[in-house]
Amino acid sequence: MPRLAFLLPLALSALLGTASATDEYRVGDRLPQAKAKPDAKSSYQTIRWEALVPEGWDPARDLRGINLAMLNDGDRRATEALEKMKKAWDEAPVEPAWNGQRVRLPGFVVPLERVKEDVTEFLLVPYFGACIHVPPPPANQIIHVFPAKPVKNLRTMDAVWVIGVLDTTRSEALKGGNEAMGMAVAGYRMTAEQISPYKGPAR
Amino acid sequence: MSHWLLLAAKSAWNRRLTLGLTVLAVALSVVLLLGVERVRSDAREGFTQSVSGTDLIVGARTSAVQLMLYTVFRIGEATNNMRWDAYQELARHPLIAWTIPLSLGDSHRGFPVLGTTPGYFEHFRYGDSRPLAFAAGKPFAELFDAVLGAQVAEALGYRMGDRIVLSHGIGGIGLPEHADKPFVVSGILQRTGTPVDRTVHVSLAAIQAIHLDWQGGAPVPGFSIPAQYVRKFDLTPKEITAALIGLHSRAAVFKMQRYIDDYKGEPLMAVLPGVALDELWRVVGVAENTLLAVSGMVVLVGLTGLVAVVLAGLNERRREIAVLRAVGASPRGIFLLLTTEGLLVTALGCVLGILLLLALTVAAAPLAQSRYGVALHPRVISLAELRLLALVIAVGVLASLIPGYRAYRLSLADGLAPRL
Repeated sequence: MPRLAFLLPLALSALLGTASATDEYRVGDRLPQAKAKPDAKSSYQTIRWEALVPEGWDPARDLRGINLAMLNDGDRRATEALEKMKKAWDEAPVEPAWNGQRVRLPGFVVPLERVKEDVTEFLLVPYFGACIHVPPPPANQIIHVFPAKPVKNLRTMDAVWVIGVLDTTRSEALKGGNEAMGMAVAGYRMTAEQISPYKGPAR
Repeated sequence: MSHWLLLAAKSAWNRRLTLGLTVLAVALSVVLLLGVERVRSDAREGFTQSVSGTDLIVGARTSAVQLMLYTVFRIGEATNNMRWDAYQELARHPLIAWTIPLSLGDSHRGFPVLGTTPGYFEHFRYGDSRPLAFAAGKPFAELFDAVLGAQVAEALGYRMGDRIVLSHGIGGIGLPEHADKPFVVSGILQRTGTPVDRTVHVSLAAIQAIHLDWQGGAPVPGFSIPAQYVRKFDLTPKEITAALIGLHSRAAVFKMQRYIDDYKGEPLMAVLPGVALDELWRVVGVAENTLLAVSGMVVLVGLTGLVAVVLAGLNERRREIAVLRAVGASPRGIFLLLTTEGLLVTALGCVLGILLLLALTVAAAPLAQSRYGVALHPRVISLAELRLLALVIAVGVLASLIPGYRAYRLSLADGLAPRL
């Protein structure tokens, strides 16, 4: 009998699941990504987060044009260029070519809506801790995901693989909205067919 | 196999008193184990259902969990307020689709009073994005109108047009009352199964009006402004407790959160309800797991008792077993007989436990709802509970192998004339 006494607590902890996977990551960590390549066998392509940034978009363009060594201390032009970069960052554009594409990419979860305990709407971000302490990612590095069916056991900052169809059109709430606002809220949406826990290479 | 079951049942019936008590012990431990799991899952579900469609909760700087607890669940109290003009400025931000100001701090016979705007009834969502619906009446239009949650109306027996008096502060009896400015019930909401049911809703201007002649949390002695003259004064709120925010695009939530956290006018914070809820579960999870482990131990104690009773009965039954052997039962049959008995007791205990728990849930549901705001759903069994129950039965069978094995050995050694 004493031997049996071990069984229940052991089995209980196995049932409840051990510590969550989030403990392994630190703020700012990104998930190791696969090389971008069209997958021959399946109808989706695995992409990198960088692919969501339109080619040629460079928020720091103005800053690069300045030779910092030639400026006086406290130069107005340096500050202006920095401000411009921050503004460009805030109004990050999306790459329209992704509209309707079926893709697969890894990221961290920020849950928005739940029914019972299952997540029905969440944001996918490229690095750990995006909702706390660190500056937010630009709009083209956030995907608003609508799972096809509610996802069980999904918690804040869980790492997942998501497969789904991207949508780059603006949300319907913006029809008739002003132009500045439209700029500010352009972003990616996704109808996700499959969401699976991220199992990456050993860290 | 089936004749062993019959034999085991008949033999057990002979010792029904001791075995009956063992069944009861197992049943009670099962009630505890499943009860903990049931309250846990129902409380979680209740919390998750209480807020939907809200992108950010804004308030004075405190902990994210605390801000969410008092704004959405009316648990605990605010450490500080935010200024009305700061709220106004935020509400004009182009990313924001709607805002709901919340002013807490008063109560009515133990139910929290919420000062807000009619926009609350339009924008607030719960459960699966469901809007609030009126069972009777409409949102407050007059200054001293109040809209009651379903449970407030039911528990206190209020109808449309009744007059109610608010108290200053939250909690016990003997709170100072705003007796000179009674409110009229203008609407009653339909049941939602969320803290809204326990809330009395009034306008922000009314909150301002009932505190006009108050200073430092008490009425100014010998001075009062009659209800009919309060409109002569400026009833614009000076501060609110917190605000709920909805955005045009949910993907902009980090940008807005950053903007509010960096707001220069006064120290504010914004939290995502989903994230704060997860944080709460992480904290509460430790206590939940401890409770579950303790109730698991209690089940073990119950099953140990079962083994002890069957083992103790074994000595009295050596003759019975000898007779069975004499009429042709194999030692394996004896083993089966004893193990089946253990399984029967465990299974009966589980069934009795489920029934007891069902009765208990039905009986305790109204109290849990009104006292703690936790909606317990009477049900026979859920999937998670079924898994726990399967575990209990598996351990019960394992434990029953012990008396089975012992009887097997004895039946081999004893022969027909056991020395007693």
